[in-house]
Amino acid sequence: MSLNDDITEGLRRRGTVDTIRAGIAEAPALGKGLALTFLLALFGAAGRVTIPVVMQQAIDNGIVGAEVRVGYIFRLCAVAATVVVIAAVSQRTAVYRLGSSAEEGLYGLRVRLFDHIHRLSLAAHNDERRGALVARVTSDIETLTMFFAWGGLAWMLNLSLMFVVACVMLAYDWVLAMVAFTVVAPLILVLRLVQKRLMRAYDGVRTNNAGMLSLISETVSGVETLQAYDAVEPALFRVEEATAKRSKTSIRAGVIGAFLFPSGEVFSVFTVAAVVGIGVWRGEAAGLSAGALVGFMFLTYRFLEPIAEFTEVIDQTQTAVAGLRRVLGILDTPIGPPPATDPVELPIGQLGISLSEVAFSYAPREEEVAPTQVLSALTLNIPPAQHVALVGESGSGKTTIARLIARLADPTSGRVVIGGVNLKHVANEDLRRRLTVVPQEPFLFADTISYNLRFAKPEAPDSELWHAVEQLGLEDWVRALPHGLETQVGQRGQALSAGERQIVALLRASLVKPDVLILDEATSSVDALTEVRLARALQRLATGRTTISIAHRLSTAARADRVIVLAAGKVVEDGSHEMLMARGGEYRRMYDSWLAATNT
Amino acid sequence: MTPKSNRLTVASRLLRALVSFHRGYFVIAVTGAAVFATATVVSSYGVKLVIDNVILPAFTAKGISFATWATTSLVVIAIGLVRAVGVVVRRSFAGVLQWSTARTIANRVLRHIMTQPAWWHRTRMTGDIAARAGVDTDAAVGILAPLPFSSSVAVLLVVAGTWLMVTDLWLGLFATLVFPVMLVMNVLYQRKVDRFYRTAQDELGSLSEAAHESFDGVLVVKAFGAEGRETERLAEISRRLRRARKQAVNLRSTFESLIDATPSLVNIAIIAFGALRIRSGDMSIGDLSSFVYLFTLVTLPLRIVSYLFSELPHSLSGWDRVQEVLTEPIIASPREQIRNIGTVGERNPLVEMEHVYAVHGSTDALIDISLCIKRGSTVAVVGSTGSGKTTLLHAIAGLVPVRSGSLSVGTKKVGLVFQEAFLFAESLRYNLTLGSEVTSDDIRRALDIASASEFVDEMGMGLDTELGERGVSLSGGQRQRLALARALAMRSELLLLDDTTSALDPATEQRVLTNLSSMHDEMTTIVVASRPSTIALADEVVFMEGGRIVAQGVHELLLETNHGYRSLIAAFEHDRSGSAP
Repeated sequence: MSLNDDITEGLRRRGTVDTIRAGIAEAPALGKGLALTFLLALFGAAGRVTIPVVMQQAIDNGIVGAEVRVGYIFRLCAVAATVVVIAAVSQRTAVYRLGSSAEEGLYGLRVRLFDHIHRLSLAAHNDERRGALVARVTSDIETLTMFFAWGGLAWMLNLSLMFVVACVMLAYDWVLAMVAFTVVAPLILVLRLVQKRLMRAYDGVRTNNAGMLSLISETVSGVETLQAYDAVEPALFRVEEATAKRSKTSIRAGVIGAFLFPSGEVFSVFTVAAVVGIGVWRGEAAGLSAGALVGFMFLTYRFLEPIAEFTEVIDQTQTAVAGLRRVLGILDTPIGPPPATDPVELPIGQLGISLSEVAFSYAPREEEVAPTQVLSALTLNIPPAQHVALVGESGSGKTTIARLIARLADPTSGRVVIGGVNLKHVANEDLRRRLTVVPQEPFLFADTISYNLRFAKPEAPDSELWHAVEQLGLEDWVRALPHGLETQVGQRGQALSAGERQIVALLRASLVKPDVLILDEATSSVDALTEVRLARALQRLATGRTTISIAHRLSTAARADRVIVLAAGKVVEDGSHEMLMARGGEYRRMYDSWLAATNT
Repeated sequence: MTPKSNRLTVASRLLRALVSFHRGYFVIAVTGAAVFATATVVSSYGVKLVIDNVILPAFTAKGISFATWATTSLVVIAIGLVRAVGVVVRRSFAGVLQWSTARTIANRVLRHIMTQPAWWHRTRMTGDIAARAGVDTDAAVGILAPLPFSSSVAVLLVVAGTWLMVTDLWLGLFATLVFPVMLVMNVLYQRKVDRFYRTAQDELGSLSEAAHESFDGVLVVKAFGAEGRETERLAEISRRLRRARKQAVNLRSTFESLIDATPSLVNIAIIAFGALRIRSGDMSIGDLSSFVYLFTLVTLPLRIVSYLFSELPHSLSGWDRVQEVLTEPIIASPREQIRNIGTVGERNPLVEMEHVYAVHGSTDALIDISLCIKRGSTVAVVGSTGSGKTTLLHAIAGLVPVRSGSLSVGTKKVGLVFQEAFLFAESLRYNLTLGSEVTSDDIRRALDIASASEFVDEMGMGLDTELGERGVSLSGGQRQRLALARALAMRSELLLLDDTTSALDPATEQRVLTNLSSMHDEMTTIVVASRPSTIALADEVVFMEGGRIVAQGVHELLLETNHGYRSLIAAFEHDRSGSAP
């Protein structure tokens, strides 16, 4: 089990029954009509005990001494055939109902998950957890799909069969039925005992399998490094160890399963011997007949037939419950900033921002005891249309301030007010229309530039996109692209350079025509020409808008109306570039060292 | 050749190929399967014994002795046990066969892949290549699990069919007629349902891709308030998935009921006709019972033989993908093209390139490069994005082949530090040494020079700290410093830095660069530079544009003589001044 599983499982550990109950509550379609489905499955199972009953009837009533009553047997067979057909129809209906309500339920669960995950706070969305989140909506739900398609179906059909067979056995002769059940009882012990070992073995298989796959993928990903350092052989040796280990544990699990598989059949021969012996010994005096005993023998085989399948599906059932538990763990995670209950509309026009006594701390991670205090009692006023640059070392709280203003997180205490309204009272849709964020590493979808631009405004016509391009002075850049705005950007925008991705993000933000713009500057190096373009586009976009830039390039700070220098969550300097330079404090020191680094 | 027989040929070729890796295990598994099949048929004889020798006589006036019951029971139990042993052997060795084969193939595929040169890898998706040794291999061997079982079904059908006909010819013929009917039902069903399963699998693939993207871009999704839209986009794919799955369920429920009811109906008919045979004295009640019992046992595996058919396409496509990689000839490493200058004479250059051309993708990335780099010098490579800087370093490191011209390098100890540092989810020590013998002192020294000692010491377990998912997570700058330390720990004589210090803050960068420049006597450095501070460190600058070297010399000289170089540097200066452009 990886770290990622712990995160979502650790919240609340549920037992198996609890998990299933909670699962049905989250996906009501799963439980709807389940009783009728099971009833139909019972009818279906009746078809499979028809043969033993027919044999008994034929031997006892159809063959009297040397006389064979063919007419009776034919009538008997006609009735039996009808029962088999009706049972087949019932079973078909039961199987379809189970499968289709499972699909409905799992669809609902998936959509609930998508929605919930999108609304989780950014803290729940960090890089380490991303893979886990995707796994919840795909492979974890898939374990449930697989369960309903095979394991769940097997449980339903086999339990019905065993139930019906047990009833018929009891009806024939309760003493013999008891004998059969008694001889079978130790099987349950054996099954439980071996099952535990099997489960552990499967756990080992899963762990080693995951380990092997990630090692293979890592080795292939690192091929350039490994070849550059002539280290391919030691890396292959590591992989060979992993494949050997995986193979060994899989074989082990297979062998345990192989011993478990025929246990039902082994017990059935002992049971048949016992039943026949006692049946013969009690004889006609106890109201038994030869036919009943033959029928009973057949029923015994039928009774233990499902055991083999059970040994196969128990592991699948465990996997499915674990998958469901992880899915529920996600739904238990509270969503990000809660929506405004009683929203107040933002005023028309430019918006000012004020932070008063704002504190923020991250929840402690597992290994830490105390929460990490990022901001404490920060007060800040940004008048409408001002361009403010936040400057400071990493960890000084720049990004946190930006996130609080964008309401991607709520302060632990204090208030963030925008346009005179406390952010907590602003409806999300309203805020997103008025405020836009350009993140440090802007994410682009694997589609065209125009698709990515329209993500901000789906209904924007081509002319509007072009207008935005002209506004930011980027026509020459777009024209130089192979297919203009229809150029594919590749996965995560990888076909573009980091600077170009930032350009697309600025364009995208400009389509919203926000009143507040928050820009987190890229740290990675951008080539000179793109640098110039970016600076120009940003300058144009910022004009007339309240803009907050997290400046990594101090040239950006120099161009802003106001520079705020942060250190350890506190404002240490605040003023215009010229003012702070003249003062000769922290900002001056940072600016000089930046100049030195960028100087030839 | 008809498509049908073509498919059979392909299938049998696949099976022969897979079995050939570990033939012995296959033979043992199939032997177990044969024992199981034979014992199954013989067990029906046990049923006849029980009915004719024990049950029926017991209910006549004569009765039976305890000994008769005991011996008959022992026979039945013995047959049951032999049958179980057959199952255990079959299943165990099917597993041994499957997983040993998977291991052999995975190792072989990975070795093949890792021997292909780096530039081969660049034209392919990493995930796709890794899958060949992982999930594709597992898919290919998937067919081995049910294979012994299926062969036992074949044995069972032949032996049981014969036995049934021996018991009663006419009834036997009638019963065996149902075998092909059930097989055909299986094949038809499989063919139809596969379509839906395939669609579902494709939709699941798109769903996973879309979910990954959507969660990856969660900041953008939130920034534009697009949570609802994105959920709907994913729900749309889920609805397509649901539709395909429900179509499959619909088909499957019909099939399962048919395949269950058919043998039952045939069995009822057998009883009806059997009654006639008993009346005519051709059969005993025991014969008929054992007949019914055996028929039921034989049709049981016939119900699930479709699993074999369903595994086949999956296994075939996995095997095809594995073969695709294995049959591709190994391309000679570009390193073999590099000539060794020889270490004699300190005067010899360390790197010498004459009219070198190299290709990246379909375009020329290096055009007519002639370059001579002295031992102990530091050379900066400067140019805009796409000018060929990285390709130049990779060619010298032997990762990219030289198409024409000659390239000579005077050392085998080349340390290339990539733009993106690649770290393994292993101990820090492994990451710095990659499995080669390096003393702890050398590692320490390398960490000092790369300015990484401080944060490494804070990592608690020092060099034994596990990096990656379960271990500590590192910032971009820390990763780059570790990658640099790796090159230094391996005692590289030629250090190739590809914009390595770009993620460092200016102060740390200065420290690292100063440390490096103090090592002039033991090391030659070629550095791709995008910051003036890095350029300042170099003895000489190589200025590249469009894959060519357009100018070469000391920084000040290039500034004076080359317009392109001047405007590139001017762009830095311009930006630095902070004036709005």
